[in-house]
Amino acid sequence: MTTKKLLQQEPGPSTYVDDDYYRRLHGIAQDWSNPGPPVAPDLHHEITALLHRECRLLDDGRFEEWLDLFQEQCIYWVPSDPAPHNPGRTITWEIQDRRRLEDKIARYRTGFAFSQLPPTRTRHCLSNIEIWATGETELRVRANLTIHTYRKGERGTLACMGGYVLQGQEGGGWLIEVKQVNLIDADQAQGNISFML
Amino acid sequence: MSPDWDYLIQEDRIHRSVYTSEALFRREMHSIFARTWVFVGHESEIPAAGDFVTRRLGGRAVIVTRDVHGDVHVLFNRCAHRGAKVCREDKGNARVFVCPYHSWTYDPAGRSVSVPLDYAYDADRESGKFDLLKVARVSSYRGFIFACLNPEQPALEDYLAGARQVIDEWLDRYGDGEVVVSGTQRYRIAANWKFVTDNQGDGYHPAYSHRSLLMMAASRYGDKDMQYFAADPDASRMFVKAFGNGHYYLDQRPEMHAVSAWELQRPQPGREHLEQSLAEEYGEMEAKRLLELAVGAGMNLTVFPNLLLIGNQVQLIDPLGVDQTDLYWFATTVSNLPDEVNAMRMRTQEDFPMFGEVDDVENFESCQVGLGIPEHEWVDYSRHLNSGREVVEDDGTKAPVTSDITMRTFYKEWKRLMSMGG
Repeated sequence: MTTKKLLQQEPGPSTYVDDDYYRRLHGIAQDWSNPGPPVAPDLHHEITALLHRECRLLDDGRFEEWLDLFQEQCIYWVPSDPAPHNPGRTITWEIQDRRRLEDKIARYRTGFAFSQLPPTRTRHCLSNIEIWATGETELRVRANLTIHTYRKGERGTLACMGGYVLQGQEGGGWLIEVKQVNLIDADQAQGNISFML
Repeated sequence: MSPDWDYLIQEDRIHRSVYTSEALFRREMHSIFARTWVFVGHESEIPAAGDFVTRRLGGRAVIVTRDVHGDVHVLFNRCAHRGAKVCREDKGNARVFVCPYHSWTYDPAGRSVSVPLDYAYDADRESGKFDLLKVARVSSYRGFIFACLNPEQPALEDYLAGARQVIDEWLDRYGDGEVVVSGTQRYRIAANWKFVTDNQGDGYHPAYSHRSLLMMAASRYGDKDMQYFAADPDASRMFVKAFGNGHYYLDQRPEMHAVSAWELQRPQPGREHLEQSLAEEYGEMEAKRLLELAVGAGMNLTVFPNLLLIGNQVQLIDPLGVDQTDLYWFATTVSNLPDEVNAMRMRTQEDFPMFGEVDDVENFESCQVGLGIPEHEWVDYSRHLNSGREVVEDDGTKAPVTSDITMRTFYKEWKRLMSMGG
């Protein structure tokens, strides 16, 4: 993905978000507390490297390359409550399909997204990484995601449980289907969280 | 403390201290938040007996409860004994509230149910001495719960004045459907609460503050979202209207809902599937009607001092300090709409907060900093003061959409309440 494409190309239709998909997402949210047996060390290493790269791209503001880590049919989800719930029934902080995720990045690139001028400086840290398989070519990852921030004189930390669903691609490699950022204080007052968590 | 109120609030400008003075803030918590009707929550948050939410009423911790008879109470959240907070959850359901300190126990109406070892007290529980203190007046208008610490305050329905009609139109979009709070986004901003109300009636700022949203929408989708603010808003069919008692609203509907707000809306997650699914199930005409109800109402109302209707959301403003405010955005579904339309309401109600409001908050916070400069004293609110474009109607005054009449109306009521004795 490039900035030019984001800003100039009319996005195609987005048809995958429906009631069935919301039910799937609810199930995924409920499953974080039941990790399966851990994957083999090699795979654990490979996926960890992928997610470390994901964090690095965000911290470097390379959002278009970050988008390339997601499959077309993807979800970026920041729930508004720590307890698992169906996002078709309740508001979230954000739940973006591919198209609206592109909108978010395109807004930054207009040069007039004042809530991110100056941009929040971030350092995404992943630890306590647990990876298990939920299908032939599907993995779940749960991790402790801490995002250290600096903006306009204020330092902060967002503490989250980062949940990822990864899909194995034909020809090898993995892409992210779902990234869910569960703030420990999702139901409490937030400051400026308009950057990419 | 006796400021010169006429100096602080002038015909065309307000003194910066209205936003920055700790003393004025403390006085607001008394003269406004303890004197007039204050929005504390929505009935749909506490549907069943024993349901409660904890809130703040001008800084005072309160519990908003529903008792076994279905009545709503607003109780001060402090034990009658030594002042401990009785209820320490944000929300829930309780047959009784038990103070963690000495187990003094209360029912949802605030009455004392039990005082352990009460033989050592002179009074008994029937005397009321052991009850939680309650807020004097609690009244609901069509689901919106207001509390008032002033026993002399006129009835809520009268107080609402012309705002009542706007609330009615906002609710009557759905026939006999009930609006139900379906989740909350809560923002904490480093800015005075009145920047939020100032902005609510501001038809001047969207093209500039929300430039990134308009540009993104235009470049990716063509003429979408609030493009009708981009040209000359005062030449549009939108308007603002100032009512009595400090209330006002901004009406986007003449542009937004002129033909189809759904067609104007930038595509949200689930759009194409929803259009197809509704057409298959309900037919084209009914599908179109339902799709319009997934989009925001287009009425930006302020009920003085702290209730806003914005899009399909209900906003509660909770002042924490002169430069710190909590904003609750209550999202809403509607009881007689199909689940998938309500799901789309969730998606549309997420859009403006993350894509637009964040830039407004940035401005509020930066105004808070700027108004800290003592030498530059004034905040201008003179737009359309003398342009002669106001139209007086029965319940209020209509003006061009960029008029500051909304702010002037708000501060007129602010000044009236703040300058009252007692």
